[in-house]
Amino acid sequence: MNHKEKKSTKIIRFIICALIVLIYFMPIYLLGNVSVREATDFSSKLWPTQNPTLEKYITILTDPMVWKSFANTLLYAALEILFLIPTAAMGGYALSRSAGRLSNMIRTFNILVMMIPGTALLVGTYSLMVNLHLTNSIFGIALYGAGASMTGSMFFYTTFSTSIPTELDEAAELDGAGPVKTFFYVIMPLMKGITVTRVISVVIGCWNSYLMPLYLLTKSEKYTILLYVRKLFTNSVIQDVPLSFAAGAVMVIPIVVFYFVMQKYIVGGQIDSSVKG
Amino acid sequence: MRKKKKRSLMLMTLPGIFLICIFVIIPLINGVRISFYTWNGYGKVMKFVGLDNFKALFTDMRLPRITVNTLIYGFGSCLLENVLGLAAALFVAEKFRGRNGIRAILYMPIMISGFIMGKIMSYVFTLDNGVLNDLLAVFGTGPVYWMKNSWISSLIITVVNSWQYMGLCMLIYLAGLQNISSSYLDAAAIDGASGWQQFFKIKLPLLIPAITTCVITNLINSLKLYELVVGLTNGGPNRETMSLSQYIQVLYFDDEKAGYAAAAGIFLFLLIMVLSLPINRFLRSREVQL
Repeated sequence: MNHKEKKSTKIIRFIICALIVLIYFMPIYLLGNVSVREATDFSSKLWPTQNPTLEKYITILTDPMVWKSFANTLLYAALEILFLIPTAAMGGYALSRSAGRLSNMIRTFNILVMMIPGTALLVGTYSLMVNLHLTNSIFGIALYGAGASMTGSMFFYTTFSTSIPTELDEAAELDGAGPVKTFFYVIMPLMKGITVTRVISVVIGCWNSYLMPLYLLTKSEKYTILLYVRKLFTNSVIQDVPLSFAAGAVMVIPIVVFYFVMQKYIVGGQIDSSVKG
Repeated sequence: MRKKKKRSLMLMTLPGIFLICIFVIIPLINGVRISFYTWNGYGKVMKFVGLDNFKALFTDMRLPRITVNTLIYGFGSCLLENVLGLAAALFVAEKFRGRNGIRAILYMPIMISGFIMGKIMSYVFTLDNGVLNDLLAVFGTGPVYWMKNSWISSLIITVVNSWQYMGLCMLIYLAGLQNISSSYLDAAAIDGASGWQQFFKIKLPLLIPAITTCVITNLINSLKLYELVVGLTNGGPNRETMSLSQYIQVLYFDDEKAGYAAAAGIFLFLLIMVLSLPINRFLRSREVQL
């Protein structure tokens, strides 16, 4: 390969990278650009706003309901992590140590559950939640979320546990520890890394979860942040586009920043969960 | 001792299985049961009608178009995401400065809620004051009425969906590429194989497990496409861009036909199963054993 060719590939690569950056940041740019204008400003959304103002952000951030919905979202994520992670890790480990046929069954079952559309379960879930008095309850939606993503997480932990040598279990067993003790003292510490990635993916999932919260959390004091933003976007009485864009930015920017900070875990975890299966 | 160990292992799986039963199995059975009734979704009155909901569903004038849309979203996104994802993976597998940043950026849209992304994109593709038309105006070409034709709207939804979720495929392919031992590629290079030959004869066959994962996950997810449609077109005009998922939700909560919605839900579940299980089996049979 001669020097000249190398230079041209470098230039092409640079152009592709620049295009990627432009296209991928475009939605966030639009959110930011439109959010700093007045409701009466109907100029092009593409070009930078003349006379930018932070008025819409002040309206959003001084609304106590936005803070309430942030708190609800974090509570939702925390409870779902609490219900999901220990159960899935323990169950996944136990399955990996049982006969091979059982974990194969779980694998098939996992694909089947994946195929069940959330909306198809909607009718059944909604009436169940009404009967259990779990509507308009963050506790209820978190419990539902844990149940709905249980097969995926259990499967994830099963494949990971298979790569942990069984000699470790046997050593613990010789020291007199039963499977439960072995799991908590020997196995769980080894799963710290992938548990972090699981926890992060639950947080992101709760942040963006739409369908079930929409129907199960109908009182505005139980809204998650997405439901709060959705209400502004779908308000048909007064169309204040900059206000809804500001709310969108308030919701999107934290998760994007969180993503770039935690990027290493998210990307690594995604690779682990998809390929090892 | 062994028996006791086996029993405590079984006990450890119980909490998880319990939650799966409550929140997946029971709703599913409940949904099947409701599909045999007419019900408004909240009242006390439920009337058993047998298979009437299914009969009504298959004579529903809207069902063919909505099913076709669902298939466009499903197969279109699956194809686009795999092609784009593989291309992106090959691009960021090379060593260059800023590669980790580009990788992170390509995955970033997945962090943004499908609903919000749909809303932003709806302002990109509108006729008046649309972002894309403003951009075209710079090049002197007239405004294009993107959403005029509902088929084109369906394609736009497919493209936006593929663009947003392509990063997942990219990561799976990237991991697959990293698992290919460089000794194969070196040996091929010594034998004089070109870059394309190396790709088609070595990389692609060894990537089939990754292809299986990508195709099946994306096919299932895109056949269930819901939030992006709600954000972008809200199924309009006249329910012509709706996906089956959105139709189920509209039937249940807007039209108050819970039994009919449950029947549509079972139809979608069966559709996904019939389409993805044979593809899964076919791809698994092609995986290379080393």
